Amino acid sequence: MGPMRLSRPAARLLTLAFVLPAMFLTGCSAQSGAAKTVLTVTGSTTILPIAEVAAEMFHVRHSDLRVLVAGVGSSAGIESVTKGTSDIGTSSRELTPQEKTLGLVDTPVAFDAIAVIVNPANPVKALSKTQAADIFEGKITNWKQVGGPDEPIGVVNRDEASGTRDAFSKIVLGGAAFDSRAAVLPGTGQVRAVVADSLTAVGYISLGFVDKSVKAVSIDGVVPTEKTVADGTYPVSRKLHFFTVGVPSGLKKTYIDFVLSTAIQDKVVRDAGFLPVAEGRK
Amino acid sequence: MADQHKPSVISESGLPEPADAPSTGNGLSTISRATYLKEAILRNVFLVCACVAVAGVALIFLFVGFRGWPIFSKVGLLPFLGGGVWHPTKGEFGILTLIVNSMLATLGALALGAPLAVGTAVFLSEVANPRVRHWVRPAVELLAGIPSVVYGFFGLVLLRPIIAKFSGGLGFGLFTVWIILAVMILPTIAAISEDALRSVPEGIREASYAMGATKWQTIWRVLLPAAKIGIIDAIILGMGRAIGETMAVVMVAGNAPVIPKGIFAPFLTLTTVIVMDMPYAAGDHRTALFGVAIVLFVISMIFVASIRIISRFGKEVG
Repeated sequence: MGPMRLSRPAARLLTLAFVLPAMFLTGCSAQSGAAKTVLTVTGSTTILPIAEVAAEMFHVRHSDLRVLVAGVGSSAGIESVTKGTSDIGTSSRELTPQEKTLGLVDTPVAFDAIAVIVNPANPVKALSKTQAADIFEGKITNWKQVGGPDEPIGVVNRDEASGTRDAFSKIVLGGAAFDSRAAVLPGTGQVRAVVADSLTAVGYISLGFVDKSVKAVSIDGVVPTEKTVADGTYPVSRKLHFFTVGVPSGLKKTYIDFVLSTAIQDKVVRDAGFLPVAEGRK
Repeated sequence: MADQHKPSVISESGLPEPADAPSTGNGLSTISRATYLKEAILRNVFLVCACVAVAGVALIFLFVGFRGWPIFSKVGLLPFLGGGVWHPTKGEFGILTLIVNSMLATLGALALGAPLAVGTAVFLSEVANPRVRHWVRPAVELLAGIPSVVYGFFGLVLLRPIIAKFSGGLGFGLFTVWIILAVMILPTIAAISEDALRSVPEGIREASYAMGATKWQTIWRVLLPAAKIGIIDAIILGMGRAIGETMAVVMVAGNAPVIPKGIFAPFLTLTTVIVMDMPYAAGDHRTALFGVAIVLFVISMIFVASIRIISRFGKEVG
């Protein structure tokens, strides 16, 4: 009675236990059997969202091709492409003079521009790069020191895991330490929301995430727009690079061309908060 | 039960006695055998339940201790606990600032929340008529059921901008955290304090009224002193909840690793540093976070121990 009642679900469970892994196994082997060609892309974690989504979409289009993407940091990416352990090395920084001698070919895939944002009601419209650095280092603490009202500046910083913080620290602060009294928020959305409703706040976010709720100030007299970023006049920006040994060819070229296509540039790159590289670049 | 010798067998050996069942051949022993089996299984199920709880605590303690211990030998116990600078990516692992900040957040929340909670408990147990109590008590209990991340979100989106407006800052800081934590610990303290007040014998109230005391005098001079031990227990439990709270705090504290200058400035606590840093911490930094977890563990052990000591003291006195 008891055992009989139990036996049916038990049998069903047993069947599931055997069938499910079998299904996974066949599924996996079918996939790996079809997608034999593998391209490895390693490097910057900043570029990871672009490279990864592009790799998935690439696999959808070319079901026989598979692109493996790993985020290990820009330096490790450059090293691995030089040593030949990966096909493409991604980097959010320029090559060092020593790395320039290694014969790497650079294909920029996106711009990462960082806007310094304030509340729309804040009369301050322009800062010099030095002023911006002084604000985030805690040397300037009142808005009247930069031509604003007599109000304390509420500095909003990002957490140390943030690639934006890393880039901002390198480009604007030149590696100097952030003011440790500043609020530290764990996300672009939070920084934007806080700046949007606090009159005295200042923060920084990727230009792609700036909207009407906040105001991006000009840096050294240049207002951050797609144009000023693309022509290189806006100072707080960097290029995101794909490095290859020699001019990309074959599968590497196919993948890089796909990343540079409008499908990726206008959708994936923008969704990640970056700006597309100039049109017509192939 | 017909066969009184069988249960005694179970309780002594903990095992059923299946061997004699088929040999006797009567229906009674067959049923008994199944019953013993069920009883034995249930006993073991409950034993396993208890073991899982104990094993959980032991495993977490061992794991956290094992992972965090190296930081004490690397940095030294005193520099770790007594160092004022927390800058892990530059190799500075002093958590005194975080300990002080956690204490500031907790004590302020208690100062705001405990009177409110004890007042609620007095209202529910002594003042409210049954119809009002019928509505108020579930509302207070519901506060305990709201996920802490919702408190945090509420604080970030609704409370913080208001505080930012009248303080002139960003709205992050002790003041905001105090308000959120005070509401969060209210149901814990209120529920246990109410139990303590209710367990004061009715005769004591009647005696007080018979002496001509007013309701207020009875509450203030008789009931609260009589329920004192239970209320202190409740407050310590509330403290435990406040110091351990993470998600709500991380969203409104502002997370600056300094002792805040004033109650409207951002600050980082023992719990929030773990949730902020864990995603990217590596090496000594990660070990230091486990070290912070050990400190939190020790603090909560102190709280639990003090409740036990106070309760025992209360029983001896009472």
